[in-house]
Amino acid sequence: MSDPVASLGLHFDEVNKLRIIDPEISKQTLDLKEECNDFLINIDSFKTIADGFIKLIDSLAKDVEREKMKGIGARNLVKSMTKQREAEEQQLQALILEKSTELERLRIQHQSLLKTESEQQEILDRLLLNH
Amino acid sequence: MQLKIEFPRYAEHSDIVSCVSWNNTEEVLSCGDDHLLMKWNLITGDSQKVCELPNEVFPLDFHSFSRNIGGRKQTQEQLLITSSDGRFHLVGKSGRIEKSVDAHKGAVLVGQWSPDGSSLLTGGEDGNLKIWSRSGMLRSLAVQGTGVPVYSAFWSSDSTQVLYTQGKHLVIKPLTPNSKSNRWKAHDGLILKVAWDHVNGRIISGGEDCRYKVWDMYGTPIFSSLLHEHSITSLAWSPSGDLFAVGSFNTIRLCDKSGWSHCLEKPATGSLYCIAWSTDGTQLAAGCANHKLLLAHIIGRKVEWGQFEGLTTGRKSVVVHDVLSDGSDALEFSERVIHLALAYKHLVVVTTTQAYIYSTSNFNTPIIIDLREGSVSNVLLSDKHLVLVERTSLSVYNFEGRLLSSPRWASLNTATLNPSHITLGPDTIAARDQADERLIQVLDISGKDIGGPIQHSCGVMEVGLSQGGKTNLDILLAFVDKTRDLFISTVYTRPTAFRRIDKLGSIVQSFKWNSALNIIAAMQDSSLILWYYPFILFVDKRMTKKTAVIKDASEFGHRPRLMSFVDNYIGIQRSDGAIINSGVSPYVGLLHGYASTNGWKEALRLCRMVQDEALWSCLAIMATQAKDIETAETAYAAINFYDKVLYIQHIKQNPIKAVRLAEMSLLGGNIQEAEMILLQNGMIFRAIMSNINTHNWERALEIAVRHKTHIDTVLYYREKFMERLEKPETNEKFKELRANVDINAEQVEKKVAKEYEMEKEKS
Repeated sequence: MSDPVASLGLHFDEVNKLRIIDPEISKQTLDLKEECNDFLINIDSFKTIADGFIKLIDSLAKDVEREKMKGIGARNLVKSMTKQREAEEQQLQALILEKSTELERLRIQHQSLLKTESEQQEILDRLLLNH
Repeated sequence: MQLKIEFPRYAEHSDIVSCVSWNNTEEVLSCGDDHLLMKWNLITGDSQKVCELPNEVFPLDFHSFSRNIGGRKQTQEQLLITSSDGRFHLVGKSGRIEKSVDAHKGAVLVGQWSPDGSSLLTGGEDGNLKIWSRSGMLRSLAVQGTGVPVYSAFWSSDSTQVLYTQGKHLVIKPLTPNSKSNRWKAHDGLILKVAWDHVNGRIISGGEDCRYKVWDMYGTPIFSSLLHEHSITSLAWSPSGDLFAVGSFNTIRLCDKSGWSHCLEKPATGSLYCIAWSTDGTQLAAGCANHKLLLAHIIGRKVEWGQFEGLTTGRKSVVVHDVLSDGSDALEFSERVIHLALAYKHLVVVTTTQAYIYSTSNFNTPIIIDLREGSVSNVLLSDKHLVLVERTSLSVYNFEGRLLSSPRWASLNTATLNPSHITLGPDTIAARDQADERLIQVLDISGKDIGGPIQHSCGVMEVGLSQGGKTNLDILLAFVDKTRDLFISTVYTRPTAFRRIDKLGSIVQSFKWNSALNIIAAMQDSSLILWYYPFILFVDKRMTKKTAVIKDASEFGHRPRLMSFVDNYIGIQRSDGAIINSGVSPYVGLLHGYASTNGWKEALRLCRMVQDEALWSCLAIMATQAKDIETAETAYAAINFYDKVLYIQHIKQNPIKAVRLAEMSLLGGNIQEAEMILLQNGMIFRAIMSNINTHNWERALEIAVRHKTHIDTVLYYREKFMERLEKPETNEKFKELRANVDINAEQVEKKVAKEYEMEKEKS
């Protein structure tokens, strides 16, 4: 089909107005433009959503980190607690040992005193007998 | 005994505290990796920065020394700081570094003043041990380095030897050239710290094998501790030598000198790098890894006498307990209690500035003495007096609190006076001389010298005065010398004899006089021995064993030590700290009482009732000493000494009193005393004859020549004696006189007979 107008690069639209661009293409371009606008809006909203999400994740990460530190701290505390308990236990054990050796010492002293007492009783008995 | 720990809060170092030292009893100096030298006052509770050391100086060890110059109160303090850059620094009181000396390659690990303050030693990572003069000039290279670092070193008490560590070994090195050193393997790991006690001569060491050990001065092991969790990082003896402190990671331990532990504390301080005792022995300071300074008090010290018991319950409080009535008295003081002594019905509490004397019958109204200097290191009590040993003086007080005297002698230095080198008896003080260890100074209570010092042939280790007796003549001095022989000496000279010294026993570890009688108890080897009448040495030495009682030692264990001998009870401390009570026959005391009041009849009745051989022997000797012939005869008969009984009967036939006295002396083998009695009574012939009869030829001739009588008699008897032995005369004196004097046998016999006639006529 050879349309002389077309060969000049001019076109007519449906309402027979003269057009430079092929109305088909122009329509498509307009469509594209609109779609682009839509896309931009979509991207924008996606960005805000993503930003929000990242913020959320970040704060979450911070929370997790804090909790983790707390956990580690608590674990260490428990560990040191056992160590502290051990030290306390040792101290008490040492105390027990000291007290028991002290007791043993006193027991020996007591024994020797009992012996002295019996010796003195013997002397007393002898004195009474001689009287 | 316990440690009461506190941490001063008013200041802090900003890095680990590596060294501490006491300036005086209330002031601590500390130094750490923050280069600060701090001074802590414990009374006012503040601290001040003395100086800041240069940045390259990391202190490793320091030791302060105060020396007296001229006057009493003037002291000059000098601080020795060793550092990691191979130098040591002398720092004055104001904190000014007076001198820095390049001493070693690598760090200087240890530095210490000698006890006399004349020199100092340093030991370094290069293994060298160097001796320096007090101005910092090199005196000698005591130990040539073998590449093994010297981690710790210590002076001996007399500054003539040094003890140092060499890896797992300990070495005692005399400083005189070409002398052999004593080296022994002490630990299974590196030894980090060692300390030498200057009172008993014991050594403690501790190291990376997590044990501490106690040694005697010859390297014989006395004690080895249990395995600790961490290495032992610090050790220190208390100045009195009866306690020591051990420091480790989060651990401080207080131990008895035998090694067993009094108490253990676990402060959260990290490792304790250094421990230092105050000079009064009641406080200690330690430098900790957590930048803190640890201060501790010793509480729970206990003294006992008879029914009373004194106990320090806090820094400023003492509780006295009466066991019989079960009553307690709590005594509170405004100042810190330094010393506690309880004996002879009196309690003496010494605080930092005052001494309180309580009678045990009344604990409400003490007699208060203001101290001269306020640093009492020892308190001695006797029946009527007390002696306070202060920093520069000795003071004698009576129990009413009146100052009687301040005895002094040339070599006296009370700051280093060993407690076992001084003793107080009734009206008498005896102390070993500090310049000459073979000399014992004897003074009476007013500070006057009694007949000059006692000279012994070798070093004296321990002295003790008897507490009993009625007169000063009964006072005896016992002392143990370096070979552990026990000697007895009379103190006051008698008109009939000079001061006498004789040996009583050997291998004596410790001895104690009875608190009221002249009876002495001693640990001999490992048995307990009691001498009921030590004066026997000067009456009849051969009978000594008869008057001694030996008790089986199996129950006393290893290395027992005599603690007390009060009334009829002996307290013996075993090496594990247990105190064993041992009773003494009460009859001995009664016998001593009768003998001192000449109650011979009662004494005889007592011995007849008890029927104890030692008691009879005592009585025999006491009667011989008192020249009571009848009692002596009976007593000797009871213990089957027929020869003595026969001799006594022979004595009884003699009518002259002086002769009888002399013969009684002869009975105990005291020829000199007998001779003196005879000569004093003008019986020259008797004196000569007694010497002839005891074959004391030279002395007989001497008397004869001096009095120009009976020379021929002596020569005649001598000749007869030599003929009987069929030997020629060898003595020059006799040969010479023999040539000049004519001897007519008949004439001599006649002369002798005539002398006896004259004696009879006289009586």
